[in-house]
Amino acid sequence: MSAVAQPPPPPQWVLDLNSPPVTKPKNPSIPDPPGYTPALTRKERAISSKQSTRKQPTSEETNTLKIKKAWELAIAPAKQLPMNAFGMYMTGNSLQIFSIFMVFTLFKTPVMAVLNLQKTFAPFENPETSGRLIPVKITYILCNMLMLALGIWKVNAMGLLPTTRSDWLAWEAERDWSERAIPREWL
Amino acid sequence: MRLHAALSLAACLAPVLAVFEDDAHHIDFHHALLGLPKHEATFFSKPYAASKASLLYTVSQNGTIGAVNPKDGALVWRSPLGPSSAAHLRFGEEQDVIIGGVGNRIVAFSASDGRIVWETNLKVDGSAVQDLEILEQEDGITNPEAKDAIILVDGAEQGVKRVDGKTGRVKWTLEETSGDIPFQISTSPTTIYYISLHSPLLGGGSKLRVSSLSPITGKKIDSYQLSSEAEIHTKDNILFAGANTATPLLAWTDKAHKVLKVNIIGTKGISTFNTPISEPVEKIVLHAPNRLNSLAHFLVEYQTATGHSAEVFHVDLKRNTISKAYSLPQLKGKGTFATSTANANVYFTRITTDEVTVVSSVSHGIIGRWTLKGSSALAGAYPVHAVSEVVVKDNSASAARSAVLFSNGQWALVRNSDIAWSRPEFLSTTTSAVWAELPEEETLAHELEVEGHQNVVAAYVHRVNRHIKDLEHFPAWLQNLPTRILGNLVGTTGDSTIDDIQHDTFGFHKLVVLATEGGHLAALDVGAKGKIVWSIDLHQFAPEASFSSPSLKAFRGFVEIKDPSLTSPLLINSTSGSQIVDRDLTSSSPVTLKDQKLITFDLVDGELKGFLGPEPSAEVAWTFTAPPGEKIASYTARPAKDPVASIGKVLGDRRVLYKYLNPNLVLVTALAESAHKVSIYLLDSASGQLLHTVAHYGVDTSRPIPSTFSENWFSYSFTIDASSSGAARGYQLVVSELYESPLPDDRGPLGASSNSSTVQPSEVRGEATKPHVLSQSYQIPEEISHMTVTQTRQGITSRELIVTLPASNSIVGIPRQVIDPRRPIGREPTTQEQSEGLGKYVPMILFDPKWHLNHVYEVIGIRGVITSESGVESTSLVFAYGSDLFGTRVAPSFAFDVLGKGFNKIQMTLTVAALFVGVLFVAPLVSYLFENITEEDILADKQLQVQRKQINTLWTT
Repeated sequence: MSAVAQPPPPPQWVLDLNSPPVTKPKNPSIPDPPGYTPALTRKERAISSKQSTRKQPTSEETNTLKIKKAWELAIAPAKQLPMNAFGMYMTGNSLQIFSIFMVFTLFKTPVMAVLNLQKTFAPFENPETSGRLIPVKITYILCNMLMLALGIWKVNAMGLLPTTRSDWLAWEAERDWSERAIPREWL
Repeated sequence: MRLHAALSLAACLAPVLAVFEDDAHHIDFHHALLGLPKHEATFFSKPYAASKASLLYTVSQNGTIGAVNPKDGALVWRSPLGPSSAAHLRFGEEQDVIIGGVGNRIVAFSASDGRIVWETNLKVDGSAVQDLEILEQEDGITNPEAKDAIILVDGAEQGVKRVDGKTGRVKWTLEETSGDIPFQISTSPTTIYYISLHSPLLGGGSKLRVSSLSPITGKKIDSYQLSSEAEIHTKDNILFAGANTATPLLAWTDKAHKVLKVNIIGTKGISTFNTPISEPVEKIVLHAPNRLNSLAHFLVEYQTATGHSAEVFHVDLKRNTISKAYSLPQLKGKGTFATSTANANVYFTRITTDEVTVVSSVSHGIIGRWTLKGSSALAGAYPVHAVSEVVVKDNSASAARSAVLFSNGQWALVRNSDIAWSRPEFLSTTTSAVWAELPEEETLAHELEVEGHQNVVAAYVHRVNRHIKDLEHFPAWLQNLPTRILGNLVGTTGDSTIDDIQHDTFGFHKLVVLATEGGHLAALDVGAKGKIVWSIDLHQFAPEASFSSPSLKAFRGFVEIKDPSLTSPLLINSTSGSQIVDRDLTSSSPVTLKDQKLITFDLVDGELKGFLGPEPSAEVAWTFTAPPGEKIASYTARPAKDPVASIGKVLGDRRVLYKYLNPNLVLVTALAESAHKVSIYLLDSASGQLLHTVAHYGVDTSRPIPSTFSENWFSYSFTIDASSSGAARGYQLVVSELYESPLPDDRGPLGASSNSSTVQPSEVRGEATKPHVLSQSYQIPEEISHMTVTQTRQGITSRELIVTLPASNSIVGIPRQVIDPRRPIGREPTTQEQSEGLGKYVPMILFDPKWHLNHVYEVIGIRGVITSESGVESTSLVFAYGSDLFGTRVAPSFAFDVLGKGFNKIQMTLTVAALFVGVLFVAPLVSYLFENITEEDILADKQLQVQRKQINTLWTT
């Protein structure tokens, strides 16, 4: 148990790695090998840090950005739609394990997405943006409904929707005849 | 195009099924019957001179000539020559041809395989072969090649003919013009004797006239009369007119069987013997050897009401005298005698119900005696006639075998003391057959019915009570379990009993009750290769009746027998074959009525009449009379048990064509003989309304027009008459389907109303309520004599039309898809039609060899085919009866609910056991490994991961 507290002494190569050799003054005539970025000198580091400090955006700007991001998210399912439709078309109308799986995901994704609506838009939610997020959310739901519609279309094409007379045939009964006639010889 | 045709053909044939090779001979059985053998034409003989084993040849009472292997009773060959009372069969010594004469046909068969060598028909209609003899020797010289046959013709043409043994050509004919009744012919090495009955004009007895003919020319050489007028009144008084012995005999007796007169043919002397028994003799039978070289000894058998005895006579050839040698003691009970020869010696075999004894013709000492072992098939039966073969060594019989016809119609071979085999030949005249419903099944059905009518709680209580009551069978069931499991794994070959039939899970064991012309009743287990479970003679219940065509009807636990000679129907228990005296009439309705009005209909004086109620005196509700010139030939109703799984037909586009399902439909066939026309009328038998009619012209009305009705479709078949229509003679099969409306998704004028009446119509009546009929007709290669439809439990399985083809002796199951009237005509089927399984209409249906249910069997003389549901939905039981009996089971949509034979139960059990053992082994191993993982291991693992992460961060920064 005591061994846990003390890690073993680091190997030589780790030490080497931690204390890289001092950069030699660069001979300008020799270019750096491709892909090699020389470690920055202290001065250079200072310059670069000075450059990265920019002015903080205002909350108004952040909110606009958030709404923009939210719109992007809301439209995303619609973008997948043509791809999905093509996939559905390609799998055909036969009942196979792949097409059934695809149809299942087609149904599951929008439903789950709608259920997780608040969670999805939580990063963009704050008292100022919440009002502006409503149309975004509606769009998101609509896009998912489009996906669901694609699923229903597919299921119907596969003949799984009970829309025809033959689907309800088993519940239709034979007529009862109020008379029964039999040949005499059967008696 | 060709590809399309091939594809549609493949689509059409794909669902077609055949009898599988491993199922053949297992699921089906065939009793190839000959009929009751005739005594004088039954004999053992070698099929060819060099043969070691002999066959048993016979001609039966229904005119079938056949050969049976005496070892196992298997049929070697047979040839039905048509029913005729005059049937003869003779075999020349050392020949390979057997000559039979039935009716007006004289046929020579190859003795070993039954192939026809030649056939000659008597030219004059109405004449029949009265007797047939082989000319063994001609002027004392044996013709080794082909021995000629001498035939005696009676009827429209009378005379004697000599038929060439090689070709069947008639060599000469002696015409009988004297008006004598031809009786028999007998040949001797030098002459042919022709015996006829000369009746005086003024009545009284007949004289026997014996004419000797020249074998070469057929000219009459000599003729003399024997004064027999005191005794002979009919042909039956003549006992024997000696077939081919060196000394042909002629024996006759008087009406009272008091005196026996014997004449040696060729001489005029008559020896007279008095019957030795004091009590009245019922029958005298003379047994003599029919070999040329055997001793001239014969045996006379006297049968009385209580017993039988016999006397042996010797003929002295030099002095032409007949003397009694010895007599055999009288025995109680029935028995019979048979003659056999070995070289010149003659032996007589006496067969009684419990014993077989052999005596030599020379002395009365018994040289062989065997006590008969009983057999269940022959219980209570006595021997009627027999033929036998005896092996004699050192003056004692070492073996004897006899083919014995028993009084219960079993033809059995008695080998020493054993019954080697028995053939149920009495079944060859089966006139009616029904599926018996067993009482036990019925009670369960009844209980279920009770539960169905109660409310939920009461039904549940009833059910629990029933299960508790069932527990009493539990110990027995538990006891049987090991044997059942073992039997399941290894495959059982058990004997079938009534018990088996009642505890049959698949319902393949079903009883069929058969009635024969002779008044026999038998029950066969169809699932156990047609084993006879019980058989009875109906005369024991109705001694005065002479049965001609008994018809059967099955009720719960019993069958009802009706016959013209019976005053009241007989009721027989279907499980035991015992008579039921009192009958519960309430449980015997063939259909269950649910608040329905019962209407009965019947064919009365050529008119179909409907009556309001089951009583014979009920009021006439409607009458259907065929148009003038037509006569109603038959009618076919929908079967009482015809379950329909779906009330509509689903089309390829998932729309529905609604079936016209009316339980009261009846198909009436009417014939107009002069117009060569057949009319088919579809009636609603509740109202008598005509729903559909169709007429076919140029029909041969003398041929059978079978029809059948099932669900919403019917079919019939007829023969096209070549002479009247100018078209080629052919056979047609017509199939029609009835729908409520021609439009899909439409329930017709009655709409969605759940009840309907044709007698009390609603406002939507008239033409509109008629069904929409789709028909298609097909040319078929053979005539159909009978057709029926398979039946299954729920009606889910597709149906098969089962047709009997008498020309090819086969039974064919035509799949319903092939004869679907919705097959597109003149165009390829669309994709949707293809998905329905419809192929392009072809006008000709060839019976695919795969459809033949009988495969290698030849089923001859089928009168009817009955079908029944089995315990599983996929399978229907089929039973064909007539001269032959054939049973099988068919699965039109394949046996989808039964494990196939290829399923290896042992392998499955072993696999499961191996997996179980594997789990037992592996489970502790895994848990051991998990237990040994300590915290240290887990921490060490974590540490390693931390180090790796550190390195990674170093590497990337």
